[in-house]
Amino acid sequence: MEYVVNQIINGICQGAIYALIAIGYSIIVGVVGMVTFTYGEIVMIGAFAAYYTFQLVGTNLVLAILASFAASFIVGGIVYKLCYERFFNSPRHISLLCTIGFSILIKNLAQIIFGPDTKPMINIIENKSYTLEAFGISIVIKQLQIMVLVLVIISSVALTFLFQKTKYGIALRAVSQDKTAAYMVGINVRRTAMVGNCIGCGFGGVAGILLSIYYYSCSPLMGSSFSMKAFSSSVLGGLVDIRMSALGGLCIGIIENMGIMISSATFRDIFAFGFLIIVLIIKPTGFASSGKNRRVKSEKG
Amino acid sequence: MLKIDNLCVNYGYVQALRGISLHVEKGEIITLIGGNGAGKSTTLMAISHLVNDVEGHISFKGTDITRMHPEKIVKMGIAHVPEGRKIFPMLTVQENLLAGTFGNPSLSKAKTAELLESVYDLFPRLKERQKQNGGSLSGGEQQMLAIARGLMMDPELIMLDEPSLGLAPIIVEDIFELILKVRDRGKTVLLIEQNAAMALAVADRGYVLETGCITMSGKGQELLNNEEIAKAYLGG
Repeated sequence: MEYVVNQIINGICQGAIYALIAIGYSIIVGVVGMVTFTYGEIVMIGAFAAYYTFQLVGTNLVLAILASFAASFIVGGIVYKLCYERFFNSPRHISLLCTIGFSILIKNLAQIIFGPDTKPMINIIENKSYTLEAFGISIVIKQLQIMVLVLVIISSVALTFLFQKTKYGIALRAVSQDKTAAYMVGINVRRTAMVGNCIGCGFGGVAGILLSIYYYSCSPLMGSSFSMKAFSSSVLGGLVDIRMSALGGLCIGIIENMGIMISSATFRDIFAFGFLIIVLIIKPTGFASSGKNRRVKSEKG
Repeated sequence: MLKIDNLCVNYGYVQALRGISLHVEKGEIITLIGGNGAGKSTTLMAISHLVNDVEGHISFKGTDITRMHPEKIVKMGIAHVPEGRKIFPMLTVQENLLAGTFGNPSLSKAKTAELLESVYDLFPRLKERQKQNGGSLSGGEQQMLAIARGLMMDPELIMLDEPSLGLAPIIVEDIFELILKVRDRGKTVLLIEQNAAMALAVADRGYVLETGCITMSGKGQELLNNEEIAKAYLGG
């Protein structure tokens, strides 16, 4: 029983990071209106930005987060310029292929620049854990896990504030819901889509730090697997619904850890993607309430 | 105020507009009538530059807007209330209305609040539902919201595309009364309607579009009494 509860806590923690990745992904897919496959590399760049910040400046977490956000934001801007901007009126597979190509490019450039090896991440937080006694079982929570959860919650709150309370948030959501209508009310759709894309990438970068801290490592190839997890989480949440995507990420994290519990850690991905397939068979729209939100249209750009 | 000169629009190989010319003067209600596929909506889409293949000239207050970016055209003071409402379904009514103000960056906070108050005055129903999502409104309410959103930017010209489409007759009358009210507030209205009788009754002037060409134009009342139009569009 203890083991189960502690695995669930691990799952929540891991799921929280997936949720943050999925949030960024959903923002991008929503405001740009096209699926991206460069996102895993954006996450990886966020992780490396943090790695080098720790190397050069020392263990300053706030600075590392800012560096990751900035690095991913900028790379996101480049992706937008190269892969989306020219292709709004073209068939959608063109920009899709562009993002795949660009992802291969970044992955390989990263191996040249950063080296192909997995780099150990500095332990930025004391390896301490708290034990809680409740209902006769002891629950162990690591300090690291608390930090990750707190950071994910702070990021989500910041994002919710941006999207719900500011004028820019209304514009971002408007673009995400209906690009033609957004043009009609005078929103600069292209610029808004670009900034939204960059913000989504920035959050991916922050998730990248959390991942590398959580697994004590970062490598140029870490992106691919997480990009698929992010995609799965978003699909679970109906692709563009930010809250539901976060929920999807959380579910995948928990399911993975439950699966590991009954088998072995090598089967991690089987449980994640198996869960996705089962949910989609039962409810093709994912967790989102209607099929309407899920439709990502390519409109005139 | 708005002048269209020899406008042609193509969708691929299909020519939707074949050289139409029309003009709209300040303070007028102008209506474009015509059957399905005559090119009415395309005309508005071309003014807003939401179609690609455009020839000819469109000018607004003396400035050529034919190839201007869509958002800049809105900022010139042209509000486009599209067919099928196209409100933002997952934004609340209030947020939809605020989105309407993006087209006019010169609006101050106080002016925005004032405009909000005035559209809630026009549509008390929207005030009751200001916290609800746009997508949860009924068809008539969504239409009101679309018009209200257009008014929120305090435009000089408001273009309405089929505002009565799919609405109950009693609401249609409300909408037309509202169009007159909007004009009385000093706005210019360009109205597209299937409901030709109603449209011509409120319009100062009208144009008849048939398969991409303007076949007739004149004062609203004249067109209303015209036999051919009565036969083709008024069911007489």
